[in-house]
Amino acid sequence: MDVYQLRAGDQTPTQIHDLNPSQFPPLGLFWTIQLPDDSVEIQLGKGSATLQGSDVPILDYGNIPNALFTGDQPPPVPGSVSFRVVWSGVSQRVNIRNTDPTYGGFAGEFIRNTAQMEWTATVGNYTFVSDPLATSSSAFAEIGHERNGSFFPQG
Amino acid sequence: MSLRAIAAWKAANREVGAARQPAQGITRRRFAGTAAGAAFLGGALGSGLLKPGLAQASESFAPVPIPGGTPLLNGMYHFFGPAAIDPIDAEPITITNLNGFVGLAYISGMVTQTNTQTGETLRLPFINSDMRFMQGVFRGADGRIHQGTFALV
Repeated sequence: MDVYQLRAGDQTPTQIHDLNPSQFPPLGLFWTIQLPDDSVEIQLGKGSATLQGSDVPILDYGNIPNALFTGDQPPPVPGSVSFRVVWSGVSQRVNIRNTDPTYGGFAGEFIRNTAQMEWTATVGNYTFVSDPLATSSSAFAEIGHERNGSFFPQG
Repeated sequence: MSLRAIAAWKAANREVGAARQPAQGITRRRFAGTAAGAAFLGGALGSGLLKPGLAQASESFAPVPIPGGTPLLNGMYHFFGPAAIDPIDAEPITITNLNGFVGLAYISGMVTQTNTQTGETLRLPFINSDMRFMQGVFRGADGRIHQGTFALV
């Protein structure tokens, strides 16, 4: 979760909270955790999916540069987050087979659509409660089924 | 994770960004090439199986990170930002050797922050929070096939 504040005189908002589940530095699996299997429900044909997490331990690094490059400026504050993300609709269906050496190595069938989220968190002396799901919006969203790595023979 | 924030920060700090690397002395290739690297921060597996936990060193069947990463961060971090900082058709997930369902979204909205000590509340925006899931079968660091569900938060 990325929380910002628009301070007086600023043209752009300043990030004041960066909640992610990894200890610094995130050089392995990137900000990725395992969840129970029932955390995800998906109906690809309808373009719908739900992702839920409850009391997921996180660290608040304050901002992304600290989360990626410094790790202790300020020192991360432990907390937990619960969230529900809902994907819906079908804006576009795409089949991708990407063999690009940088960006690729996978194939899949994807639906580009929209997503919304509601979440709560507790971090140090702060609690966070988002507005209801319906008030949020997505800049980009997609769901799909893909195969990569050893499940994606490129030969 | 707001990917656009990364791009903006990188643009504003090109020299600093190039000079500052985490975990001095640990190269991406060297780190990812080891079992420890593959498992590092690898989800709350093992004793915390199916219980969310802070990502940390995990059991041998941990999923393996994708081999590359966004060029914006010199490939050091094993993720891409499709349609944000990378091409729209870039790899959307963080785990390799996966055959399964995936989802990705950059979501914005409003949140109320409450200081539990003072009672002060602030209305704040959350901007382009990056949320992803991966669910299916994967070949873990142990070389075997497993079933699992993962999220990037």
